[in-house]
Amino acid sequence: MAAMDKENNEITFDPERYLENFESWTEKIACQIADQEGVFQECPLSGDQMDILKFIRDYYKKFEAFPIVRAVCKNVGQLKDCQYQQFPDPIVAWKISGLPKPTPEVFATIKHKI
Amino acid sequence: MADQIKPDELLDKIDHTPERGDWMHTAVQIRPGMYCYSANPASLETMDMPNVRKWDPLDEDWKLPENWQEIIHNGIKERLERFRTFKVFMDICVRCGACADKCHYFLGTGDPKNMPVLRAELLRSVYRNDFTTVGKILSSIPGGKKLYGSRPLTLDVLKEWWYYFFQCTECRRCSVFCPYGIDTAEITIMGRELLNLLGLNIDWIATPVANCNNTGNHLGIQPHALMGMMEFFTEDIEEVTGVNCAPQFNKKGADILFITPSGDYFADPGTYTCQGYLILFKYLKEKYGLDVTWSTYASEGGNFGSFTSFEASKRLNAKMYLEAKRLGVKWILGGECGHMWRVVHQYMDTMNGPADFLEEPVNPITGTKFENAKSTKMVHIIEFTADLIKHGKLELDKSRNDNVKLTFHDSCNPSRSMGMLEEPRYIINNVCNNFYEMPPNTIREQTFCCGSGAGLNAGENIELRMAGALPRATAVKYVHEKFGVNRLGAICAIDRAALPTAMEYWVPEVGVTGLHELIGNALILPGEKKRTEDLRFEPLPGVEEEDDE
Repeated sequence: MAAMDKENNEITFDPERYLENFESWTEKIACQIADQEGVFQECPLSGDQMDILKFIRDYYKKFEAFPIVRAVCKNVGQLKDCQYQQFPDPIVAWKISGLPKPTPEVFATIKHKI
Repeated sequence: MADQIKPDELLDKIDHTPERGDWMHTAVQIRPGMYCYSANPASLETMDMPNVRKWDPLDEDWKLPENWQEIIHNGIKERLERFRTFKVFMDICVRCGACADKCHYFLGTGDPKNMPVLRAELLRSVYRNDFTTVGKILSSIPGGKKLYGSRPLTLDVLKEWWYYFFQCTECRRCSVFCPYGIDTAEITIMGRELLNLLGLNIDWIATPVANCNNTGNHLGIQPHALMGMMEFFTEDIEEVTGVNCAPQFNKKGADILFITPSGDYFADPGTYTCQGYLILFKYLKEKYGLDVTWSTYASEGGNFGSFTSFEASKRLNAKMYLEAKRLGVKWILGGECGHMWRVVHQYMDTMNGPADFLEEPVNPITGTKFENAKSTKMVHIIEFTADLIKHGKLELDKSRNDNVKLTFHDSCNPSRSMGMLEEPRYIINNVCNNFYEMPPNTIREQTFCCGSGAGLNAGENIELRMAGALPRATAVKYVHEKFGVNRLGAICAIDRAALPTAMEYWVPEVGVTGLHELIGNALILPGEKKRTEDLRFEPLPGVEEEDDE
């Protein structure tokens, strides 16, 4: 059965499993994406992880852009490679944040697992 | 994919002995890991490109228009008339083979169709058949022999074009060795233009082009986001130096407009280079009153349009002069970028100029006239900074870079398209005590490409990229082992994006840096605090020991 959000709408993903409507994101959905990415199965996520995800989401709402990696870590008061430590890499963190697939240049410039 | 094919396995795959027989009879095999995904239809639509649709290079059917052969034929005809170089380069090759083993992709893959001569023959063979008198006569005789080295344009030929014209980084190393001076990059440029007539671009080019058209830069960073990023850099610089180096944006009447590739705003290690620019401009403002402005409109130095078509290149480039005119600056200064300079230095003034509303660039601090930028009115920052150092205008403490053992990768376009060979070395010798050159046949005009230029820095073609980076990485490995080199300098944003991956793959002990990062570390700002860290927040040499005492 498809997952439902708070308003009982069906949660949908694009073919590469990016969340289609970022407004439907909840912490539970974050856990679901993390699980599907093979990152971790524990739910709820840790406080440090959630801080990163929330910052990325707020940044996206404001700028519609992928944030500078070390700027995220500085803003949430964590080590400058926080996304590599808390998730495999910043692109996975972005995906778990429920945001749409970044543009090709983001993939090319951000160090990530290929 | 990087974790599927290991460096040793990739090395084992290289075989420089081509199969025997006529190359024309070997059909193209499009192999995952070696090609880039097709363009997103929305991006093609943005740029009014033809034949917009979803298609997959691995499919049999590429969804081409019915008259595709006619479109290509007319496309070649038009370009032969329009670009004299194209006509000359189609005619004059004697197939001597001097270029054959000069291409990083041939060296890294062993695929004979990556020999520059053969890559050009892919197109030349069709030219001979359709556009030379003998070729036309012979091919009109039913059942007759065709002209040697010629062939008609079939779907297989078109697929071969697509596969191999997107396995060339337009780096022009081969042209250095060509006795006729054939610019093979121009053949690839023409090949890609022709492919674009049928909607056959790759996404890693088409989407940045659309972004640049819509927002001013390849990454699609909007003005408020760009300013936010600069605020972040300003805070970080202040933490290290104690000085506020906030930039100015869109300032009318400034002396100079500064334009750099957007990769510098966004991802390490380019961001450190960007911080270096901010530190330099603050210094020049304080010491000499030089007024430099950035632009949120012309926020991209690079030009992926140049990997698409002349028209796309022109459209994206136009904003540089438009913004310079609007702001009323004297001339334009450009950042550390590669292909940007092929467009700016060789095409811009005839493509979108003349920029007669700008002044012939003179460094107001030193009085140096930049003769080579007389018509384009745009100066490379490496030349600008080298000139400042030469005239003793910058106070530098090069011991702050003592933890860096540097080698320098000449970026293809600044070295081969601009002749910028001495200036970066002059800067390096003034900001860094430990500099070691790679072997002579891998630097200066003979430099090896990073393996990811000309729009090929994608994730899906990682095997191709790592194979192409092998010659460069081998030279880096040599100086790493011999001299303990730990940093690779480059003056190109694609290099700063691509080389970290290549180094991690082939020489993991070596990091990547732009030269203005080193300048940012060495430059003594008026009123700065005692620095204990470099721009990466790593302790400066000697600082840890002092703390221990």
